[in-house]
Amino acid sequence: MSEDTGGTAVAGDPGGGQRIFLRKASGLIRTASGLDTFIYNLGLISVGLGVGSIMLYGPAFYPGGDLIKATLLAAGCMILIAFGWITWSTTLPRSGGIYVFASRILPPGLALTLSLVEITAWLFYCAIAAYWIVYLGISPAFTFIGYMTGNEAWGSAAGWVMEPWPLFIIGSLILIASGVILSAGMRFYLATQRFILTAALIGSVILIAVLSGGTNEEFVSSFNALLGPVLGTENPYQAIIASGKENGWAWDGSSNTEQTWLVSNWPFLPLIGAAFSIAIGGEVKSVQKSQTYGMLGAIILATVIFVITITLCLDVFGYEFLGTAASNFVLGVGVQADPTITLLAGVLSGSTAVCILVSLGFIFWMWMWIPGMHTFGVRAIVAWSFDRIAPEAWGTISPTRHTPVVAIFVCTLITVIFMALFVFTEFFSTIVILIEAAVLAWSIVLGAGIFFPYLRPEIYEKSPIATKTLLGLPIMTVACALGCAAALFFFWTLWSDPSAAGHDPQQLAIVFGVFVIGLVFYNIMKQIRKSQGVDVTLAFKEIPIE
Amino acid sequence: MFWNKKKKDSSRKIVIFFASDLHGSAVCFKKFVNGAKFYGADLLVMGGDLTGKAVIPITEQANGTFKGFQTGEEVIIKNQEELDQFIKRVNNQGFYPTVMTETEFQGMKNDPAAQEKLFKKLVGERVQEWADYAEEKLAGTEIPLITSPGNDDFFEIDPILHKASHIQYHEMEITEFKGYEILHCGGSTKTPWDTEREYTEEEYQERFAALIPQVKNMETCIFNVHVPPYGTVLDRCPKLDDNLQVVFDMGNPVSMQAGCKALYSEIEKQQPLLGIHGHIHEGRGKIKIGRTTCVNPGSVYPEGILQGVLVTLSEGEVSSVQLTQG
Repeated sequence: MSEDTGGTAVAGDPGGGQRIFLRKASGLIRTASGLDTFIYNLGLISVGLGVGSIMLYGPAFYPGGDLIKATLLAAGCMILIAFGWITWSTTLPRSGGIYVFASRILPPGLALTLSLVEITAWLFYCAIAAYWIVYLGISPAFTFIGYMTGNEAWGSAAGWVMEPWPLFIIGSLILIASGVILSAGMRFYLATQRFILTAALIGSVILIAVLSGGTNEEFVSSFNALLGPVLGTENPYQAIIASGKENGWAWDGSSNTEQTWLVSNWPFLPLIGAAFSIAIGGEVKSVQKSQTYGMLGAIILATVIFVITITLCLDVFGYEFLGTAASNFVLGVGVQADPTITLLAGVLSGSTAVCILVSLGFIFWMWMWIPGMHTFGVRAIVAWSFDRIAPEAWGTISPTRHTPVVAIFVCTLITVIFMALFVFTEFFSTIVILIEAAVLAWSIVLGAGIFFPYLRPEIYEKSPIATKTLLGLPIMTVACALGCAAALFFFWTLWSDPSAAGHDPQQLAIVFGVFVIGLVFYNIMKQIRKSQGVDVTLAFKEIPIE
Repeated sequence: MFWNKKKKDSSRKIVIFFASDLHGSAVCFKKFVNGAKFYGADLLVMGGDLTGKAVIPITEQANGTFKGFQTGEEVIIKNQEELDQFIKRVNNQGFYPTVMTETEFQGMKNDPAAQEKLFKKLVGERVQEWADYAEEKLAGTEIPLITSPGNDDFFEIDPILHKASHIQYHEMEITEFKGYEILHCGGSTKTPWDTEREYTEEEYQERFAALIPQVKNMETCIFNVHVPPYGTVLDRCPKLDDNLQVVFDMGNPVSMQAGCKALYSEIEKQQPLLGIHGHIHEGRGKIKIGRTTCVNPGSVYPEGILQGVLVTLSEGEVSSVQLTQG
């Protein structure tokens, strides 16, 4: 019933002063505004997850890496990638993400494969987010309560939740909860998200307020007072730094360009969420403007929050302390204390309530990723089902809730399997490995966008950007070239970073294995459908006009 | 006993290509007609809402250029070549370009009656062009093109379509194709825009009460009803506020149901073979109501992409449903 005529007036008003006559017809206006798109993307950035992972892994495993410069590098590249997606989304303003774009210019098998690769990565990150909720949220909160109360049971509980089986069970329950919420319908999902976003923002505000009101001296004093008796040393702050150095953590006090480059993987990971509005392109009004504001606004705001929080954390906790504490803790060496930001903020404030509120804020930020990514996977699976390249039953809609219950179940099952693989095997334990595959898929689709104006002129000429050029080239060609270059740059960055992804044979097997699985899956479904008299390639082919 | 089973009236395999809500898009209509050969369809069904929603005045300027309007912005057209391209683009988006003087535009701008007259003239011309195109491409084939009206279709298009030699235009009728009966019921339930052919739920109950007794075998009957059944994914669309703006919550559009309750009730009770629907462009999908398969291909006509659905019927059953984007 809806569409975008470009105007906003209804019958009787000649286009609101614009040069268009509109008649009384259903659905003269469709659309999400730039603000709506911005909120959607910001929720999928997961600011808490970004801050938590940057501060945990940054100083520890990239000594000398300048976290501010790295964040700005990631944001700059993400802006270029966003430009590419904005031109794609403006030219093909439809919901469905890269599957829609790829299916318009690439062979159907490759389009499905790229979509499958992307969805696999996002579903994997549902599992990772569930893991981080326990690792960066629940466990540190228990630890801190133990410190404050002197009750060892809390400390034991903090350790217990990180044991493989409890971790798997808690993580799986979180993932199942996401599936249940999505099955209950969009209204219920949105109601929960509203509450959660508010709580997450409150947690971030409290964290920044606590950090802004503290100094390094105050933190060291509080930390030593609280942790001294637990760790059996008078100055645990210095003891952690000393033992970290003894165990190999080294930093000469200067900024290291290579480490700065590599550590940019961590801010890049959450910033990817800023482009997720390509999945709702069909619901966005004034698509060029809204996607531009929505994507760039989310990148800029998240970057500002990252930079403020990182600056405050480094000032208050100290670079050496953060590096050695996380290094000791993750590697299980030397003097160990939980180095997560939530706990350290609690220590600084000396308040259990503050620690719990900040932890909840982090948990809620990380939670926001889960149903968001989950939905991305569900939408893709339903689309595949409609196109007959996935079992028909996967597209089944609940007659009572009107939700794709089978697709939600399939996605939930996949996330639980990923949780098991992540917790119980070494093979999948390198956290960012699948992002490498997803970034490669993005590079291919952005690369295809360079040629889109030339290969599909009949579609491109209808785009609002069709007449815009830069350096004599169609704007889409230029934007996608820049986006493709930025995505490839981060593929290379991930490839070069063994701490985040890397390229050892096992990692490569995972990355390329997902592509192979996609192609095999497509060809199996194609043959099955062929035997049923259905040509799946018809779902995508442009009908020639004779 | 299986050998005593009632023999179905329809034993042949037929492929139906169904699309809806093209709203004046010339390129989509041409794709639809060509889809018969491309998909190997035996029957083309257009679900209504053939007519577009906007006239784009292209005004001649004193300096020899033209002013047009596209995606919310004024466009300056410098020469005849650009003008031809602009007109083609607007046609394909489903709008009606018309060249006029700036004075004519200014005069018409505040004259709703003149605008309506212009609309009806341009819509009639476009429908006639489509009828001619269908005749040109389908003449000599045994592939009928069936259509019925959507809620947005002016009543003035009816005589043009009735006269068209290769288009079968049906409203409030039961027709038959190779052993399958087709129930045609156009229009829609009430919309916020008060469009041409809207009916209340009570009126729909009366319409179905008039049609259903005419169906000989409901097991092989196809409901070609423009509005989709209420309370399903096929009728889910964005909720609008009092200013006809989409309501958003947390960045996501809030949805509502805009289908027909009477239709749902009849499908549930009568259990026809198939329901083919349109009206809700966002409602692309396929559902089952009991044994009845219901589909809505949705519509993204402004992009020049034809969303459709290929339905294969075999032995009186729905053997395959494939949504397409051609």
